[in-house]
Amino acid sequence: MNISNIFKTATLLCAAGAMTLMSGCAANQAASVNGMAADGHEYLLTVTRPNQLHVIDTETKQVVRSCDVPGTFGTGAVQPSPDGRTAYVLTNGAEDVYGFDITNCDITFSAKQSQNGEKVKTFISLAISNDGKELYTVQNPTRKLNDRYEVLSPRLAVFNTADGLDAKSVRNFPVDRRITKIMTMKNGEVILGGADIKAINPVNGEVRVLSALQNWARGADWIPPDAFAMFTQGEHVGEYIMPYFTIKWNGDPGDMEKAEFWWGMSRIDIATGEVDERETVPFEFIVFNWITDPNDSNILYGAFNQLSKHDLSQNKTVDVIDLDHTFYSINMDRNRTIYIGGTSSDISIHNPDTLEKIGSIQLTGDMSTSDLRIARLL
Amino acid sequence: MKHLKSFNKKAKMLDQTTSPDEVEEVVAMQSVVGCTSTNDPGWEVDPFGGLGSLCQPMESDLYGCADACWWPAQVPDTMSSQPNWSMDVPKANEDWRKLEGIFPEEQK
Repeated sequence: MNISNIFKTATLLCAAGAMTLMSGCAANQAASVNGMAADGHEYLLTVTRPNQLHVIDTETKQVVRSCDVPGTFGTGAVQPSPDGRTAYVLTNGAEDVYGFDITNCDITFSAKQSQNGEKVKTFISLAISNDGKELYTVQNPTRKLNDRYEVLSPRLAVFNTADGLDAKSVRNFPVDRRITKIMTMKNGEVILGGADIKAINPVNGEVRVLSALQNWARGADWIPPDAFAMFTQGEHVGEYIMPYFTIKWNGDPGDMEKAEFWWGMSRIDIATGEVDERETVPFEFIVFNWITDPNDSNILYGAFNQLSKHDLSQNKTVDVIDLDHTFYSINMDRNRTIYIGGTSSDISIHNPDTLEKIGSIQLTGDMSTSDLRIARLL
Repeated sequence: MKHLKSFNKKAKMLDQTTSPDEVEEVVAMQSVVGCTSTNDPGWEVDPFGGLGSLCQPMESDLYGCADACWWPAQVPDTMSSQPNWSMDVPKANEDWRKLEGIFPEEQK
């Protein structure tokens, strides 16, 4: 049978079994993009040294594709597009952004942010609009003069993703200093993670406070929280989540005998904007990041030197296991499989119920501070 | 710093650099070189006064400290000043011996 006949036979099969097979044929056509399973199939995205974006199939736990990223390694921040097709990577010393088609490594977008005598750094901050048409970064610009640096005000920069290569920002709005991880809410506002957590309207630049941290009004019995706003988590359950550390003195400030040491979190529902800010569990060991269990929002998982499981309803850590080495980042696919990455060149895979290590993905270089993001390819 | 009194010349200079008037310079350095201005304990001791919550092994944390300019005194700042320092060593835990020290360039 030649190729033409195979094609005809397949067409006839689809036509003959219209009632039962049409949806299957249509689904088969739609379920693959450039040979990659689609229809919401999940891929893990991360960046390793020297500078490669890796696309990993969460079903097979295999690296599907590795794309060379221009420039020197940045911080490894990655933002998938809403259709999962494009991965935007912050690179070249945290200055440039490149968009990759994850199905073939084609570069479909680029923006060199240092322009017109300005040196621009973006610390982690990448987000995309819900329709995928706009990319957001927080730019920290300086200008090098003959005798000094001139520090300019930070700003939210808005890019049209359709502008393709060498895109320029189309709108800019002033923002606070020290903004790191950002995320777009369903209403279009962009969450700005910094000293306080704020939201900015990327159309008109209006800013409002979502969760006061450095400026919380709890009085002298609490110290202002020390929040850690690196690495973006929460997309698997539609939330923005950031851990913080604080102390409750229960008496004279500085009296360690009476002090309580607490982990806390700022957790924002990106559909409603509702903020869940509270202390979670006693500060007994380090976690770098948390993720929420999709089956029970009272259950958090944390990672650093240990993988830990916490029950917010009891304010207790309910399980802890040691990891092979330090990891920075953690994420979860729709089957609740836990992936722990960052730092070295292996992603550790764990069962969420037992925390047992059930696998590992070896990469070609260290992930360093890279994100571990989930792309759902449509 | 209110409980510390500077005695010698170096300490007085340090005191001056942390006066409120110099905040803008600190902001400038943070913005220019992308470096953190935190004063966490670092690689020597963890928040509990021990070693168990330090990064383990340190090679796992090496590039995380360099790429984000987290500890610019302890490791080269690969974000701005030394972008090529570790280009030939993609895995620090395997090839850390190939990483070389960084020294100020000689004035010519």
